[in-house]
Amino acid sequence: MGFLLVLKAEIVRGLIIMRRYWFATITGLMISYGFLMLVILAFVSNQAALAQWSESIFDKVVGFLVGMLAMGLVGMFSQGLQGMARTGELEQVCMSPHGLVTNFLARSLVAAVMSILTYTILLSLLAASLKGKIHLDPLATALVLALTYTNLIGFGFMVGGLVLVFKQTGQIAMIIRLVLLIIAIGSEEVAKLPAWFRAIAHCVPITDAAISLKYVLIKGQQTDGQFSSILVQPSFYYLILNATVWTLIGIACFRYLENWSRDKGTLGAY
Amino acid sequence: MNMDPIIRVDDVHKTFFTHHFFSKGEKTGARCFHEKRRVHAVKGVEFGIQRGEIFGLLGPNGAGKTTLVKMLSGLVRPTSGHVYVDGLDVDRQRLKVLRKIGVVLEGTRTSIWPLTPLENLAYFGNLKDVSGKVLKKRSHELLDFIGLSDKKDVQVRRLSRGQKQKLAICIALVADPDVILLDEPTTGLDVQSARSIKDRIIEMTRERNKTALVTTHDMGVAQELCDRIGIIKNGELAACKPTDELLDLFSEQVYELRLDRMPPDGTLGSIEGVLDVNFEAQGDEVLCVAAIEHEYALRSEALYAMLARLRERGVQLHSVSLRQQNLENVFLRVTGDPAS
Repeated sequence: MGFLLVLKAEIVRGLIIMRRYWFATITGLMISYGFLMLVILAFVSNQAALAQWSESIFDKVVGFLVGMLAMGLVGMFSQGLQGMARTGELEQVCMSPHGLVTNFLARSLVAAVMSILTYTILLSLLAASLKGKIHLDPLATALVLALTYTNLIGFGFMVGGLVLVFKQTGQIAMIIRLVLLIIAIGSEEVAKLPAWFRAIAHCVPITDAAISLKYVLIKGQQTDGQFSSILVQPSFYYLILNATVWTLIGIACFRYLENWSRDKGTLGAY
Repeated sequence: MNMDPIIRVDDVHKTFFTHHFFSKGEKTGARCFHEKRRVHAVKGVEFGIQRGEIFGLLGPNGAGKTTLVKMLSGLVRPTSGHVYVDGLDVDRQRLKVLRKIGVVLEGTRTSIWPLTPLENLAYFGNLKDVSGKVLKKRSHELLDFIGLSDKKDVQVRRLSRGQKQKLAICIALVADPDVILLDEPTTGLDVQSARSIKDRIIEMTRERNKTALVTTHDMGVAQELCDRIGIIKNGELAACKPTDELLDLFSEQVYELRLDRMPPDGTLGSIEGVLDVNFEAQGDEVLCVAAIEHEYALRSEALYAMLARLRERGVQLHSVSLRQQNLENVFLRVTGDPAS
């Protein structure tokens, strides 16, 4: 009940801000589209090459958007939390009797849904421009997205806990976010890496999320136009395992670090 | 009537540790790789606040006032000791305690600026477990009460500092808490806004039976608002008394005698019960400020003796008055400011 109330508050707040700053929302979308198209066209010199490369490029585009989603969610727990502490908003959220974990779960869920909606529009525009094909299997996509969200917020909670205690961690988290983006773009390359590196890569929350999402949206497409089930993709199972482990570790770490920050007197303060 | 204090601070200590790298050592002055410094922010503070009371916490910068408020709201954990709100241990039952308190912390952005006051109240109301018709009704009532009804649909970023502070108080009150903690509520506000906020705090406690803890640097605010005052110095509670009693504590001792001229040296010397005498020329008169023993019999004898000595030396007495002490003087004396 408490979670639903907080979720409602976050949804209403998100919608009000989106409506109030609609111009910024739309221009942000246009800038992202323009930037991505510019990057792609800069790498591909002619139309023939573009047609030949479209699938591979489109794969990278999906990876980029998944990476952006990861950056946004983890960023909410790092720089976002740092910013909230700086302005004093965090102290107010700490005053909620529902607890910080519930508040951040609701906040991150709303942020994730809004980002996914924005990236869906962007992906559709890019697919149309690059003649890429997206397979829309709502159930599989929703399932993989939900697991991706769980996986990322688990990791985000761990980073967020560290930021509560050591505010400067927010800057280091920027590097972590960039690593997540790079891995999301090049997730396919993981298979070519040595076994020990592959093992590490599978522990990173975005690797299997990106592979599974690319599979659901593009890779699963077979020559006859049919899609094979996500259930045949091993990354899907890694993703389930990752999501479970990261969520448990993340929330446990966050709770422990929240108490530590109360000891240190840094909770809510910058 | 329940006479248990609604807030009880029980022998609370708070020590912070800070880590310094490549800094000059505090004791040796030599540069070292790492040094851990200890700061005792609060040392053995004890007090209780009754229901419906306005309790003022005064102290110089860095005395530990905000740390105490943060301990009361569960943002900071005491190193030892306990803080109770309505019988609940803040450390162990923090989430339950948060349903009973509203907090306005100093110098922070307590509201969301792109939203209007009404939207802010809806948002924070939900965060504090208030919803539906109750929230709607209470939001309008609070905005009426604080005098922000005409600004209810204006984005917070367009409001003045005073209006933002009023909104912060509304947000703290949106869950109808029994206790409200106000950290420097009038700092940086113009006279009118400060007046309005003071009036609302008084109204809130008197008419709605809320309990308020106010920290402030402004002695006027404390004297005007608070039923009882605690003066905190270097993390220790140096005094904790009802405001009138605190003012009386020193005012009974200091007398002002206006004389027609400077009496000869030693006139008022070695009189039993006279603690200190100072003379100051003021135009045609001389002002004699005498600090006298607190105890009634001694004080009476000392006053008679002083007047007798002045008469013997032929000094005319224009007036005798008891110095009206204000909280600022009391504060300076308690905190040991040499200027006092």
